[in-house]
Amino acid sequence: MGAYNTIAFDAAKCDGCGDCMTACAETKVGAGDSARSRIQIGGDAANGFELALCRQCGDPKCVSVCPAGALGKDAASGVIAWDASKCVDCLLCTVGCAYAGIALDEATGRVAKCDMCEGNPACVTACPHDALKLVTTSRIYNEVGNWEDLFAPGLAGCQGCNTELLMRHTLRRVGPDTVLATPPGCVPGMGSVGFNGTTGTKVPVFHPLLTNTAPMLAGVKRHYKRIGREITALAIAGDGGASDVGFQSLSGAAERNEQILFMVVDNEGYMNTGMQRSSCTPYGAWTSTTPVGEATHGKTQDAKNLPLIMVNHRCEYVATASTAYMEDFYDKLDKAIAASKRGFAYLHVYSPCTTGWRFPTDQNMEVARKAVETNFVMLWEYSRAGGLHFTRPVDDPLPVTEYLKAMGRFRHLSDDQISHIQSKVVENLGFVKQLAHVAKA
Amino acid sequence: MTTATLEKQTPAKQKVMLVEGNEAAALGVALARPDMVAVYPITPQSSLVEHVAKLIADGRMDADIVDAEGEHSVLSVLQGGSLAGARTYTATCGPGLAFMFEPYFRTSGMRLPIVMSIVTRDGITPQSVWGGHQDAMTVREVGWVQVYCETVQEVLDTTIMAFKIAEHHDVMLPVNVCLDGNYLSYGTSRVELPDQAEVDAFMGDKNVNWHVALDPLRPMAVDPLTGGSSGRGPSTFVRYRKGQCRGMQNSLRVIEEVHEEWANRFGRRYAPLVEDYRMEDADYAIMTLGSMSGAGKDAIDEARDAGKKVGLIKIKTFSPFPVEALMKSLRNVKALGVVDRSVGFRWNCGPMYQETLGVLYRLGRHVPSQSFIGGLAGADITTTHFHRVIDETEALLSTPASTEPVWLNEKD
Repeated sequence: MGAYNTIAFDAAKCDGCGDCMTACAETKVGAGDSARSRIQIGGDAANGFELALCRQCGDPKCVSVCPAGALGKDAASGVIAWDASKCVDCLLCTVGCAYAGIALDEATGRVAKCDMCEGNPACVTACPHDALKLVTTSRIYNEVGNWEDLFAPGLAGCQGCNTELLMRHTLRRVGPDTVLATPPGCVPGMGSVGFNGTTGTKVPVFHPLLTNTAPMLAGVKRHYKRIGREITALAIAGDGGASDVGFQSLSGAAERNEQILFMVVDNEGYMNTGMQRSSCTPYGAWTSTTPVGEATHGKTQDAKNLPLIMVNHRCEYVATASTAYMEDFYDKLDKAIAASKRGFAYLHVYSPCTTGWRFPTDQNMEVARKAVETNFVMLWEYSRAGGLHFTRPVDDPLPVTEYLKAMGRFRHLSDDQISHIQSKVVENLGFVKQLAHVAKA
Repeated sequence: MTTATLEKQTPAKQKVMLVEGNEAAALGVALARPDMVAVYPITPQSSLVEHVAKLIADGRMDADIVDAEGEHSVLSVLQGGSLAGARTYTATCGPGLAFMFEPYFRTSGMRLPIVMSIVTRDGITPQSVWGGHQDAMTVREVGWVQVYCETVQEVLDTTIMAFKIAEHHDVMLPVNVCLDGNYLSYGTSRVELPDQAEVDAFMGDKNVNWHVALDPLRPMAVDPLTGGSSGRGPSTFVRYRKGQCRGMQNSLRVIEEVHEEWANRFGRRYAPLVEDYRMEDADYAIMTLGSMSGAGKDAIDEARDAGKKVGLIKIKTFSPFPVEALMKSLRNVKALGVVDRSVGFRWNCGPMYQETLGVLYRLGRHVPSQSFIGGLAGADITTTHFHRVIDETEALLSTPASTEPVWLNEKD
């Protein structure tokens, strides 16, 4: 299966002009009667506009409730097609769909729904505000959905943690011919190495010291190379072990260009041991060792930028990623896997911590996204041949307060602290831009 | 280095060479054919790993060499290699061993048969780059097998034997071959180089990760968290620890077997655990460890010539401590002087003396004894020092022992 296209709606950009409905009606029924359009915009400017349109669902209820087999999802295009010859006009589909994506056209007495205009929807073309976009969805699911999940079911992460998502996707992609290292931290804390004689994975996995993940993995990889066996040496590590106590061995392995894929899941502290400060903890953040009291108010130093330090090792590949941008992550994961066959590949994934950062457990993706949208976190990649470049540049960033206010760990910040963080965001952006510019020149 | 060759020779024609102890160790390593060595320099070990590196660079040794960024990573690389099935080797000492301690502790727990020379060095501070047993003694309680060599030839031979001991399926433990910094590391001596084909036959098949492996063909979780105060309780942990202790005890037998096989194949016989030197009819004895034993034996010869009924007991295998063998050596001894090249801070005596007190207790009779501490920071323990040891031990037959150690080089 390939990736599917679908129509995305950005309510914030919609002004309710109705051009999309007019265009749809003209294209589909040859009349400008927007009541017959298969896309319907409801609501108003005050309360926000809403969309009624077929989502071309992956598990479509309209299809499952249809008693006549008149609706079916086309495997190639992903479009849910309506077969007029089979339809018995019972309208059950209109009840089954939660999105009002299929509705009665009173002019014909039959149902009508979006057919994606053979890949070039008239509504999208007609929208003058960019509120409608044709986007590719489910690419990851369609590509890797059937691949084997190499972690055991039921990893014991905190509620709302998306590190499990990251771990499962990564190992699914890397595949079974892997030796996995998960040093002390949240990843083994979730049970990746198992407890009491059980294992958490279907690949060989070990629990290195906090300090020796990279060299231990290098030893494994080197011997398989010596005896002519191809394996991927993968580490899924935390930011504390990598940036602090294990940094020397990480740096040494990178300098020797060991053939390893080293992934750091950066939750900006020693979250597994009780949310203590690491050198990746940002300025001002509350942690259990940078508490907020009368005298001090969170961490007093800026975070170490570990991925940039790895760039200065001239690794085969270095990239930052975010769980809110999984397609970007997957592109980088593919490149990192390929690079790890030649030398040291480093992936730094920003992964918000619901427990340690103090935000509601349903907000993880939102917090991760806000970090990128404010440029607090930048998504870029580096290779020796291609230099450094942004993969998702944010030209019009939100103020950093939009990110900070999403979390309890920054609740105490003074105006001075906030302006320090905002100025650091600007400074960091300028620094990375300079590197990107230099790489381009 | 320039004249050494490791080509096939007839057993009858073992090549004779003049080498320092560090080179002898390197030649022994090459003959044992490890797949992987990891190196980091530190005095007085440095020339050992330089010799290894040169052997590989010259194509006379086929091993993957990892120039790691520190001892901590040196041992970590080897742990990974061993888990993937590699025969592995390194060498270190002193501060390097201290820096390595975190993975060092873990090596024995994972039952990885890694061989590591300790070119022994005194502990800092006071600052010192000289020999002494303080480094190896400090880590004696970590589950590594530790053997001490007396001569350069013994360094070469024991280095090869160490792999066979470590990889024995009843042992599966890492082994330290301890050679005295300065005296053995740089001491140059005639050695006979065993024939490669004979060593290959001696070593037999290699299988270092049958018990624990990181291999996609037989996936397993290596070292998952065991139960403790919660979960299933500590039984898994206790079973592992008990197994380690069993492996240590098994090694006493295996060390003897391997030394016997070595003697039969190569004609050089070493006391594997404890050596008795002129102990027949001895009323009292002195105990030694490592390269000091040569001067000790000379002094014993002179004392015997003077009519004294004294003998020498040399420990080769220090960890596990050869309790039964030592009890045998001590069975008729009426007074004992123990010479250590390091200190035991807690008991105000030498560590070997402290260990020996336990053996004396098991004898079930009172044996007056005295701790002598000498050779610190590379100091020489001469026959003159040993005559003092002999005299003061003899005095224990008639006068009570002091609880203070005798510091042999205090006025040197």
